[in-house]
Amino acid sequence: MSERWRMPLLLALLIVFGLLAALLGTGIWHVLSWLALSTPLIVLYRKIWRASSKSRHHF
Amino acid sequence: MTTKTIKRWLFLHRWSSLICTLFLLMLCLTGLPLIFADEIDGWLNPHPPYENLPANTPMANLDSIVHITRNRYPHEVLTFLFIDDDEPQIIANLSSSWKEFMQPHSDSTHYIRFDARTAKVLEDADAKTAGKRTFIRIMLDLHRGLFMDLPGELFLALMGALFGLALVSGIFIYSPFMKKMDFGTIRKDRSRRLKWLDLHNLLGIVTLAWMLIVGLTGIMNEVSTPLFGIWQATDVKAMLEPYKNIPVPTPEELHSVQAAFDTAQRAVPDMTITSLVFPGSPFGSPRHYLLWSHGNSTLRSRLFNPVLVDGRTGALSAVVKMPWYLRALEISRPLHFGDYGGMPLKIIWTILDLLTIVVLISGLYLWWARRKLPDHV
Repeated sequence: MSERWRMPLLLALLIVFGLLAALLGTGIWHVLSWLALSTPLIVLYRKIWRASSKSRHHF
Repeated sequence: MTTKTIKRWLFLHRWSSLICTLFLLMLCLTGLPLIFADEIDGWLNPHPPYENLPANTPMANLDSIVHITRNRYPHEVLTFLFIDDDEPQIIANLSSSWKEFMQPHSDSTHYIRFDARTAKVLEDADAKTAGKRTFIRIMLDLHRGLFMDLPGELFLALMGALFGLALVSGIFIYSPFMKKMDFGTIRKDRSRRLKWLDLHNLLGIVTLAWMLIVGLTGIMNEVSTPLFGIWQATDVKAMLEPYKNIPVPTPEELHSVQAAFDTAQRAVPDMTITSLVFPGSPFGSPRHYLLWSHGNSTLRSRLFNPVLVDGRTGALSAVVKMPWYLRALEISRPLHFGDYGGMPLKIIWTILDLLTIVVLISGLYLWWARRKLPDHV
């Protein structure tokens, strides 16, 4: 599988895990769910922040 | 993929999303306050605090609650009791008639709120208060069916299906659009359109699983009225068939409500009973009490089990098995609402909702900006 697909697939699996962990478990499973669902948000933040800081450097 | 296949998926992506985008934007915006519906309602319409009693205080006798209610409104129909499993309250719901009860925005439907432990009346809400269009209710009516009940719900289900189609076709054009770029590349320095194209692709592909699940469970919720209708017309009808020649009991002939509750609780000892529907309800049986219970463990608490108790004799008639499509609906509900994993989950839900709005608007912008370009993928 190409590199381009590996990350989206991993994030999709984390999202599905996060949604089910909070639904089926309590306690530690809720914490795991929050961590799993935060990962795509952190990835987005880093990608977008890096893109904007790079271009600021450019100008 | 050949250029022809890509063009076909692109065509599908463009038109399925263009048709549903405005409605999806409305759903995302009205959905935001609904994530925090409990918090906002508690803040806008606060109840006075409950009397402080020991946690193990037993529940008040349901017969005395029914007695107080019937005494206050002797000429009305007691439709159902809601036994809250979250707060110590029991709500007795009334209507001038069963026919009136079935009207979507009836102005004769009202309720009395009791303390579940003392049977003390906390609030006797008239029809005006009961039907008050609170902020959350307006958002919900808009979100669920554009203020149009069933036709609106089915229309939004269709928009949800188009959204699903837009997401799936989006997966197929993600790769060709990314060309040879690494995951997450944003071409910031070339043109505004390319920057937004990359952002649209990145945000879309990263949140895809969430959008797909919330979209599909949303469709499930929108078709819940027809699903319950199918169940009532088939399974429920078949189950009530043996009783159809027994005369319908009058309110005076009804067996004790508390006894019906106890009988049902014995039939489903591991479940929590949260509502009791009186005989005669179009949502229940003409001759039975219908009690809704749910499980106590996390997975089972999503699954509801109705129990039928004979209205005249108080004998257990049946513990009803729900069909697979209603089980699926029950599982879908929390997955759509995002209210099942504490405040952090609600905040994550909010961010994902806002990101969906960015995906929708950037998609609209890309379509608009592309119209000015020469025809190329």
